[in-house]
Parts: sequence; C-alpha cells; structure tokens
Amino acid sequence: MQRHEQAVWDETGSEGYEPLLSEKDRTTVDVDYEELPDDLTRETLELPALSEPEIARHYTRLSQMNYGIDSGPYPLGSCTMKYNPKFTEDVAARTEAAVHPDRPEESVQGTLQLYHELQESLGRIGGMDAVTLQPPAGAAGEFTGILVAKAYHERNGEGERRSEVIVPSSAHGTNFASAAMAGYDVVELPGDDDGRIDLEALRSAVGEETAALMLTNPNTLGLFERDIEEIATVVHDAGGLLYYDGANLNALLGRARPGDMGFDIMHYNVHKTFATPHGGGGPGAGPIGVTEELRPFLPSPQVEARDGRYELVEPEHSIGKVHGAMGNWLVLIKTHAYIRRLGDSGLRDTSAKAVLNANYLASQIDLEIPFGPFHHEFVASAGERDAADFAKRMLDYGVHPPTTKWPEIVSEALMTEPTEAESKTTLDQLAGAFNAVASEDEETVAAAPEKTSARYIDQTSAARNPHLSWHALSDDA
Amino acid sequence: MSHHTQLSRATRTTGESTGSPFAPHSEADVETMLQAIDAESVEELFDIPSSVRFDGEFGIDAASEQEVVRQVAEVLGRNDSATEFLGRGRYDHYVPSLVDHLADRSEFLTSYTQYQPEITQGFLQALFEYQSLLVELTGLEVANCSMYDAATALGEVATLSQRVRSVTGDRVLVPDVLRDERRAVLENYVSGASLAVEEYPTTDGVVEPDALEDVLDGDVALVYVENPTTTGLIQEHLEEIGEHLAEADAMFCLGSDPVALSLLRTPASIGADAVIGDASVLGLGTAYGTSLGLFACKEEYLRQVPGRLVGASQDESGHRAYTLTLQTREQHIRRERATSNICTNQAWVALRTAIHAAVLGPDGLVDLAKNCHRLPEALARELDEIEGIAAPVRDGYHFREFRASVEPDVADLVSELYAEGFAVHATDADTIQICVTDANENQAEELVAAIEEVVA
Amino acid sequence: MEFEIPSELRYAESHEWADDRSETVRVGISDFAQDELGDIVFVDLPSEGEGVGEGEEFGVLESIKAVSDIYTPVAGTIVATNEDVIDNPELVNEDPYGSGWLVEVEPEGELDHLLDASEYQEMI
Repeated sequence: MQRHEQAVWDETGSEGYEPLLSEKDRTTVDVDYEELPDDLTRETLELPALSEPEIARHYTRLSQMNYGIDSGPYPLGSCTMKYNPKFTEDVAARTEAAVHPDRPEESVQGTLQLYHELQESLGRIGGMDAVTLQPPAGAAGEFTGILVAKAYHERNGEGERRSEVIVPSSAHGTNFASAAMAGYDVVELPGDDDGRIDLEALRSAVGEETAALMLTNPNTLGLFERDIEEIATVVHDAGGLLYYDGANLNALLGRARPGDMGFDIMHYNVHKTFATPHGGGGPGAGPIGVTEELRPFLPSPQVEARDGRYELVEPEHSIGKVHGAMGNWLVLIKTHAYIRRLGDSGLRDTSAKAVLNANYLASQIDLEIPFGPFHHEFVASAGERDAADFAKRMLDYGVHPPTTKWPEIVSEALMTEPTEAESKTTLDQLAGAFNAVASEDEETVAAAPEKTSARYIDQTSAARNPHLSWHALSDDA
Repeated sequence: MSHHTQLSRATRTTGESTGSPFAPHSEADVETMLQAIDAESVEELFDIPSSVRFDGEFGIDAASEQEVVRQVAEVLGRNDSATEFLGRGRYDHYVPSLVDHLADRSEFLTSYTQYQPEITQGFLQALFEYQSLLVELTGLEVANCSMYDAATALGEVATLSQRVRSVTGDRVLVPDVLRDERRAVLENYVSGASLAVEEYPTTDGVVEPDALEDVLDGDVALVYVENPTTTGLIQEHLEEIGEHLAEADAMFCLGSDPVALSLLRTPASIGADAVIGDASVLGLGTAYGTSLGLFACKEEYLRQVPGRLVGASQDESGHRAYTLTLQTREQHIRRERATSNICTNQAWVALRTAIHAAVLGPDGLVDLAKNCHRLPEALARELDEIEGIAAPVRDGYHFREFRASVEPDVADLVSELYAEGFAVHATDADTIQICVTDANENQAEELVAAIEEVVA
Repeated sequence: MEFEIPSELRYAESHEWADDRSETVRVGISDFAQDELGDIVFVDLPSEGEGVGEGEEFGVLESIKAVSDIYTPVAGTIVATNEDVIDNPELVNEDPYGSGWLVEVEPEGELDHLLDASEYQEMI
C-alpha cells in the first residue's frame, strides 16, 4: 500500500493552517490622488503588502496542500480526470495567441484558422455538421444547445407549444438547470430497472409539448443506451430534438458518434474528453455540434473558410451570443493541440484504454457493482457504509475518491472513472485503496481522513454561519 | 510502483501513431488486464449496436509533440503582429512572471473542483483570498469565485434581480453604448426569465442622472452602469444615480474591474447592490477573450447568488479549513430551481488574478490605476496637437482610453494605421478610440508619429 | 432506529406535523423528517399574514446536500413564524416538536385528512 501524507504548514501562532495573506500583512493605503476630484476616488485600500519571495512561498505551500491529477489517480465519475499533456500549455502561452478579440479578422488569420480547424475536427469526431466553439463550459454548451432548439421550434411556429424539455432522472444537474434557464418546463423521466431509458415511459412523456430530450450516452452508470435509435425515432416522431450531453464521450471516441445515433445537438466537454486541465474548477470549454438543419441557428460568429481566408460569419437565424468573445480561446488551443497529437489512432485507443481500465479496475474491487456492461465508468455500492465516509477514508491512501452518492439508483454510490491515463500499476493501487477501506472497521473509516492537510471539515457550520472573506473572519474574531 | 514497470515503459517510443501516447499500457499489461476480466479483446467490451458503430476515419493524422508545436506556431504566426491600442472592455496590463510560475504548478492546474475539501485546501484558500480581494475592492460583502466573463456575469445579475426584487417589473436597463456582445449575451440569459432589456440614453457614453431618472419607473428590475464607461470615461455623479435607483427600488449593478476599483469610489459607497466585470485585467490580459467574470453583491442576496462560494470553517482538530459552501443554491443539488446552471467556471483564472493582485499589493494596485488615468490624458493631449484630430471627444476624467474625432475617413485611417503596425478602434463615422496602459505605453510615441504621418 | 412520534399530534404524508390543540394550528416537521434531512443549515419561512392552501408549499429547509420543500397540512393564514429557527436552524434537528416548530396557521379547513400517530408510524 502506498504511503502518503499531504503537506501541513503550521506557522508559529497560526494553529494548524497556512495563514491567509491578510494574516501575514494588512496594509492600509490612503488613496490620495490630486488629479481626480475626491468624490471620484476611494479613501483607502487595505490589502496585504508582501514581497515577491513571500508570495512565492505562500502559493507554493498552498499548491502542496492541493491534489491534482499529477499527484495521483482522480477517478471521479463523469469527470474524466485524465493526464493533461504539458506541451499544450506551451502552445496556449504563445504570445501570438494572446491577441485582443477586437482585432479585425484579416489580422488574426492564424487564430481563425486554428479555430476553424477545431470546429471541423470536433464535427467529425461527433458526427455533426456544424460546430460552435463559443460556449465557455459544458453547462454553457447545454444552455446554447437548448437555445438553438428553442430558436428552431420558434422558426417553425412551434415556439409556444413546445414548452417542455425531458431529462432522465439520472442526468447531470446542469441539464435540468440549463433547460430551466432557457425558459423550459423540465419533465423528469424515470429510469428503467436495468438502469437505462424506459422506452414506454419515454413514449408517454413525449408529445407535442416536447422541445427536446437531453441524454448522456453512455449514461451515468456507464451503460450504453442500446435503444438509442428507437429513442431517437420516438423523439423525432413527436417533433422534438435529441440533445447529447458530451460528459461521457471519452467512452466512444472513434467507435460511435452522437450524430450517427440520431442526436441533433451535442456538447463536448473539452476539459474532460480532450485533456485540457480542469484548473481547480475551470476554465473549460463546451463547444456544441449540430445537424445541418440547425446550423443557421448557431451563435454568432462562426468561422468559415473561403478561398483560403477565414471569415467571421453571422449564421442566418443566429441565437446571438453566449459569451462576450469567442469562448475560452486559451482552452480551445489546447484542445486543438491534443486532438492533433492523438489523431485518429490515438483517439480510438483512448476509448479502448478508458473502457479497459474501468472494466479491469471494477474486477479488482470487492464491492457490488449492480449495473453492467459498463464502459468508461462504473458505479460501485459502498453497501452498508456511507459512501461519503468511504470516500474520505480513501483520501488517506493517497488517491482521490470517486464521485459519491450519485446516481441515486445505486445505494451509497461510488461512481468511478479511471480514464485511459492510469497504468495497471496505478489501477492496482487504486483497487487496493477501495479494498482496504471496505475491510476496515467503522471507527477507522469514520475518523478519516488523517493524512490530508485538513481533517474532516465541518460543512454544517460553514453553511450556518458563512464566512466568505477575510473581512468576515476578522469581524467575527 | 516497482522499477520493473518503469523500465519496461521507458523502452516504448512516445511518438508512435498506433495509440494514445498518454495511455501508459504495455502490451503485456493489456493481456493481463483482459485475462483478469475474462475478455478476449478490448473490442468486446463495447456494448454498442453495430448499426450505430463508427468504422470510418476522422482524417486526423497523429503527430509528434514537436510537430504539433511547430504546426500551431506556424499557423499562429499568420496573425499580423501589431501593437494594440485596443480596449473597450478588455485590457492588457503586464502580468508578472510569478503569476505563470505559481499558477502553472500542476497541483493547482490539474486539480478538479474542490468536492473533497480536505485534500484541496490550497486551492480553496486561494479562492477564498480571491473572494476577499473583491470584497475589499467593491465594499460589498459577497463575491463568488467566478463567472465566465463580464457578459455572462451581467446575464446572471439580471436573473438575480428578478429573483430578489420584492415587486414585479421586467425592465432591465443598460447604457446605449454597451458593447453589442454584452448586450447579446444578456438577451440570451434573460430569454427564459421574462425580462426585457432596454437601452437608456447616455451622453458620449456617460450617464446623466436626470436622463436616467426620466426612464425609471416601478417596473425597472435592474439598471446597469459602467465605471469606467465603454468610452473610457470615469463616471461622475454615481452617488446621485444610486439615490435615484434606490428610490425606484431598482437593483443597481455597477460594471468595473479590479484595477479601476483600486482607485475609484467603492461601489458600496455609491449604493451599488452588485458589481460585475472582467477581473482578468489582472492575471491574464486580453487572451482573445478568455476572461474571468467578476461577481459581487450585497449579503442580503446570499442565498440567490450564482456559482461557487468558498467559506471558512473548521476541521475536526479545530483548525481553520475552507470548503465550498451554500451548495444547495447550485445545479447539482437544486437542479431546475438552481440559481444558475454554472458548474465549470474560471477558477484557475481567479487564482491568477489573486496572485497578480498579491504581487502588486495595495500600493502597486493604486499606482497602476493612477497610471491608467495619466496615460490616456497625456496621449489625448498630444494627439490634440495634431491638425485634423480633436482629443478627447468629451472633457472629463479618462481611464485607460479615450475617443478622438478625426477629420480623415475613419476606416481609411484605421487601416492605414494598421499597415503601420498599430491597431486602434473605429468607433463611429468620425471617431476612433485608443487605449493606453503600461502594456503599450512604450509604443505611444510611435503611435503619435504614425497618426501624424497618416493624417498629413 | 426509533423516532419520536407524539400521539397528540396529526401528521401529513409529507412528514409535517400539526398541533390543533389550541385555536391556531402549530406546524413543524417530524423527528423522522429531520433525521432524513440531516443537519439543517437554513430555514426559509413565509411572512405572517400570507394565505396558504392545504398541501401547498410554504417554505424550504436546507441541509448541506439537500433542499426540502415544506407543505402546509391545513389551509389557512399564517399568523406566526418561528424566528428562532431562522437564526438557529439546528433547533429543527434538536427539538422538532418543541422549539423547532415552524409556523402557526389560523385554519380554514379541517385536519381530518391527516394521519394519526399510529398511522404515521406505520407509514414510515
């Protein structure tokens, strides 16, 4: 078993934590500026005034109190935490990439060419006819896709009538929220006993109010919706559109494409499938792909190639904009570089190893896994154990735990996605951590974690008495 | 991890085109793993009906790292090199080297959202410090740890105004000079919320309190005012504007950025209820629009705030510890009733912004902001000396940028300047807009010379 | 696990209790319900004077990981809300039938449709 202990920085007097910058120094500056009238300027500014060496040490210590994919395995289900190739950072950091977004199109032909090439390659990977790179995250992609569906129905004179978006109960929370933000009533579709879409339930849910069905495939249990063509027929016959949530696309790279399954709209989570770093919560990017029929509704502008030049074009019935510029460009460059590096063979190998890794890891774990055959991820049950406690104890073994307590169809769920980037050796270690926790007594598990920078954190008092800034902390002290 | 596997892996080439260079499996590993799961081949693990299987090619050739780096560099090299004097909502300031070196530490860069706070204290503390920075700059009690950009933050504040306002009313008022992009994003964000976006008139981009008061009524949910304005002026009479909006019971949202806020009146002191803007003016620069949406508001809206919040708490040993908090607002718990659909955000940019602010410190921030006032005033005075140019268009106090009236045709002027290697905005038929900060001031004299030459 | 179910109260299937022993009906959530929710961190209650229909949602209880609507077991007008639980949400966990009560309703309808203690015990 791997030994691991995360850094703790306990400066004299700070009682077990790295002090805030504001606890190291707080300097109040009088904002005197004779060139502006007093009523236009602030009076004071109170912030830490520290030297560069002190700041370097502060953030280095904070980084040591943080766990990234380079620290160890990160098998969060539906999050696809895979290795982020470093060269993509260098590519994104090139100064030619950092132009102002108001530069005229003729002066940024290089940027637009990369942008166009990525639109094209994502289209081919997803089997979609047109792609916009503008949405800055997966949820933003969902919102954009649903706005496209809405614009399409409105164009057909069915905007009023089609007021519902159907979402399976096991879907990501963003699906519900994105549909609601676009003004739709959300209809929740219960799952089948075998963890898939219940066709009968779907048939009774769809109708002339249906604007779209949002679906993840493979679903959150890792299962492929085998009836996908029938599902598409049911939705299309009712006049609705089929939306693909790309969170689990890693399982299908080069083997099946949403466009070929009958999906009309899809989003790509490039910070999952295409290895751009998650950055502790972002930035990601959530491009969407659509069928030819929906191309005219895409956000503005699209990049088009004409006679060897790249142009910014407003689609005929564009929904407008979903980001103030062209999306998270720095993330998109990394996506482009990753796809080019892998090529067809690498992409296809990615899904192969991702699915092999999930199946192998599952076979090495002494926990019940009620649903299969799964692909890139599986959902194990912690059984009598509380999945959240189980996860906390896994931290002590130097691995990041899976996603917990979701999807709800599996009791005390541990939703696990190892990705292709883990070696057999690491998977064995990970399995060792699962099995060690499973065999430990309740007391040990409940006392966890012990090897992390912080012990078990009291979330309840954090929510009851929110302290959201150093100001709030010192007010209460 | 045993040395044996390390060595066997080292014998593999990493540039081969037969598989992913980032999947560390030897052939022997694959065999062993297949045996363990009782499978003949990886192919049989895919439970996909043959009718939807993809057997084609994408036509994307694999390439070595060196080749990809070369290709991308070559393509990006097709961008013209120009000295940018561009602004209008997106600004460059010099980003200290330390920002890259610290933010690129892979423990930060390659980590996920902090759903397991015990093992991600470092990032949580950095985000808590980012929130604190914004609380200090805005004077408001709550700041989230990020929206995508200023445009989407404006959209979020509009829907917030609808949720928290006690009386009904669907009017969202924005200045007539608001950037088209921000307006277009806002329109989409309110499309599901039965709010209507309307312009209110400004004079050269500046809000006149009386003109604004004329368009207020009980149906106004939100008024958005920018300081500095899109046209580069420091907005005056903000206190009076705040009073009018309070009387009308409309939410007052100020648009600004961390550099401007280091010098200008705090939003709280002029009655603003919320602040949005582009916080990546510190830490990132213009980056072709990759950004960081600033979002701060009064504490009374806390339960309605969109996005992530980090709170301070304690761990079991009684030590200070940080955690994501009030998550019941968010989509993964409240689903269609969440305050927003946002999940992945711009956390890493927020880290960069926090580090940049820390490097500058309070004195450095105030000095940078003062410079943002002096530079455009000085450059405008110089341009005003040139025959055929009147700058600035409007008297007032400028911040980073200003507009200039020009006698020659604006489109011609801008493209001729471009040919000389300078990018400036064409704002309308008679005016150009020029943005000058520490990032391009060393080229300002050359710009003046180029303008002089082109105009002559 | 044994949950306290006072016999003098009436219960809704959605786990609220109603106490109609005085003129106004006091409403809270059951011991079982508070246990299911876990540590309650936030309570949102309606304003006094608001009218509520039977089975209508009138407030929200939040724990760390869940949000739960609360429904009025009886139609009427809200005449009092428990300010203490707004400041100290833990009262709902600690004393769900006592200091953790939520609102008082001046009833317009009957309480006959509610379960008695033994029926509620059966249900959970």
